[in-house]
Amino acid sequence: MRTRILSSNVLSYIYAIALIAAVLAMFLVVRDVLETSLIALLLLIPVGVAALWGLGPSITAGVCAFFGFNYFFIRPYYTLAVHRSEDLVILLVFLVVAVVISQLVGQAQAGLAAATAREREATLLYELTTVLADLHDDQSIAKTLTEQVQALFMGEYVELNVTGAQTYHFHLPEHATAPSRPPELTLPIQAVRGVLGKIQLWRTEPAISSSEKRLLQTFASQGALSIERTLLAQSESRAKVLEESDRLKSALLSSVSHELRTPLATIKAAASSLRSNEVGWDSSARVELVAAIDDEADHLNMLVGNLLDMSRLESGALKPQRQWNILSEIVGGVLKRMHRVTETHQLEIDIPEDLPLIPVDFVQIEQVFSNLISNSAKYAPAQTKIRIHAKEKENQVFVQVSNQGPTVPAEHLERIFDKFYRVTDADRVTGTGLGLSICKGIIEAHDGRIWAENLSNGFAFNFTLPLTWNGAPPRRLPTESEA
Amino acid sequence: MSNSPHILVIDDEPQILRALKTILVEKDFKVTTASRGEEGLALAAATHPDLIVLDLGLPDMEGIEVCSRLREWTQTPIIILSVRDNERDKVAALDRGADDYLTKPFGIEELLARVRVALRHSTHTREDQTSLVKAGPLSIDLAWHLVTRDGEEVKLTATEFKLLAYLAANRGRVLTHQSILTHVWDPADADHTEYLRVYMRQLRKKLEADPENPKYILTEPGIGYRFIADEEE
Repeated sequence: MRTRILSSNVLSYIYAIALIAAVLAMFLVVRDVLETSLIALLLLIPVGVAALWGLGPSITAGVCAFFGFNYFFIRPYYTLAVHRSEDLVILLVFLVVAVVISQLVGQAQAGLAAATAREREATLLYELTTVLADLHDDQSIAKTLTEQVQALFMGEYVELNVTGAQTYHFHLPEHATAPSRPPELTLPIQAVRGVLGKIQLWRTEPAISSSEKRLLQTFASQGALSIERTLLAQSESRAKVLEESDRLKSALLSSVSHELRTPLATIKAAASSLRSNEVGWDSSARVELVAAIDDEADHLNMLVGNLLDMSRLESGALKPQRQWNILSEIVGGVLKRMHRVTETHQLEIDIPEDLPLIPVDFVQIEQVFSNLISNSAKYAPAQTKIRIHAKEKENQVFVQVSNQGPTVPAEHLERIFDKFYRVTDADRVTGTGLGLSICKGIIEAHDGRIWAENLSNGFAFNFTLPLTWNGAPPRRLPTESEA
Repeated sequence: MSNSPHILVIDDEPQILRALKTILVEKDFKVTTASRGEEGLALAAATHPDLIVLDLGLPDMEGIEVCSRLREWTQTPIIILSVRDNERDKVAALDRGADDYLTKPFGIEELLARVRVALRHSTHTREDQTSLVKAGPLSIDLAWHLVTRDGEEVKLTATEFKLLAYLAANRGRVLTHQSILTHVWDPADADHTEYLRVYMRQLRKKLEADPENPKYILTEPGIGYRFIADEEE
């Protein structure tokens, strides 16, 4: 670098001298035609031109022009004797012109260089800001910042540390370790709420200039702003989630305390009247009361079960324990347990014999059927039909639980799987309002889909479940002869 | 009174202990209670009960651990109590030697039925166990490998019979998937529940009047199967 600067300097001196020599040679030809004073005036032009190469070459040109002029154009020719004071004035004029013009040119060049540098800084900063604005997590912002610093400053090693709630660091080149000496430059990443971390740059060659330092400082502040912006956004969304879950919890509490109290009231009333000895031992009232206690205890158990499922679903603990199962076996188990529904409604099961095995959690899918059937029984009039139908469809099983109950307005169809969502007045139908959202949670945990649909003569819940598991194709049941 | 069976109940809920004690004493059992695992283990060693009812959720140690420690020295039947949705723990306890389970809350008839089955299995030694098991219209002769339904012979494949024989020999008791697969197939097949599903379906088709709503070969969701035979004696 340095030798090149040197040689370019030497060259500009040579150019200056050559220019003057050439002009002198040109004037020498017409020496007898032109007046001496005019030649002196015209010689100012090459002196001025030489000023473009800088102060040194310009003064050299002025001095050369003076001596050349003196030697070739002032009588007696070919001597350097200065006889008249006017000649000294000419020399002075040459020198003044050289200095003034080279100063002016120098300033203009310096101004241009500064403007170019400022424009480059502004461009870089603009690029950084644009890149950072698109990022929404603090880690990738820090990573990008590290990359940009390294791309720009081309240091031996760049390290960026962020400390605070989350501590992490990035460095480049990726597989290098930090030099053992202290970094040449350390800058804090200073945000409004305090120092978020620091940028360290190792670079000896070339030394870090003050303008580079200033630029890096700006980069650091820009990074700090972006990181702080994402941190604020994160804490805001956390606050929103908390607020939402708080709202849900209070809805749950109010719904649940009401729901739990209803069976408890029945149990308490029945148990206390049995205890009071006012009910005869053999009376039919006694049988009724005992049955009420038993039924309501079951109901209470179901409510608590739903609550537990919901909390598991919320915490992500409802992970299916998949095994290959037979759908009709699951449905059979549900119907056995739901004998009370089967007493009030007609159940029709239509599951093909040759349906492949389904890779599901037996207990969870049982829960889905039990919730869908009890929901159907709750809304459909007594003695109407509830139908469970399944069929294979493109590596999936499609299941429909339909009833002859009232249809649901289209705008509610999506939302009935939301927690605590009710289409009708809460007074009319009891329940925690959790059953369908639990179904949705379980089906989705099995990579299936659940939706509701109005039929021409009733209402249906539909869901699909994959028949493939971990890439294994659907498992067919062996036919009679193979087994 | 001296020959009435002695039951040790280990549960940390005083209300459950109170209720179980009242009911079991009423049914002529001798009852001892413990509310912690260590206490239960000590009482089991000191009193040699005929049956142990063990809650899986104890304050001082895992119920499964209590089960394992008991099985180190005694074959006394153990019935475990657990809440719903804890199938994994139930299966773990059953595979470590517990005889049966009940899900809280349970009806008292269920508890008494389990107690009867467990006591019968422990009092009958292998030799005097009857080789003829009856369940409604079904009759299974374990010695002669003969199965009849309403007096007519039912043709079973070798595996089907092996499966049915294992269920019938353990009638009334829950059998986990793993235990059935290990006994009827091979320990290496313990994960292949799909074999079980398929063969159980075949058996139900041949033996049950309504295979979708079985009366004798029952599914225990998430746990295994249970064969219900006629009450003996």
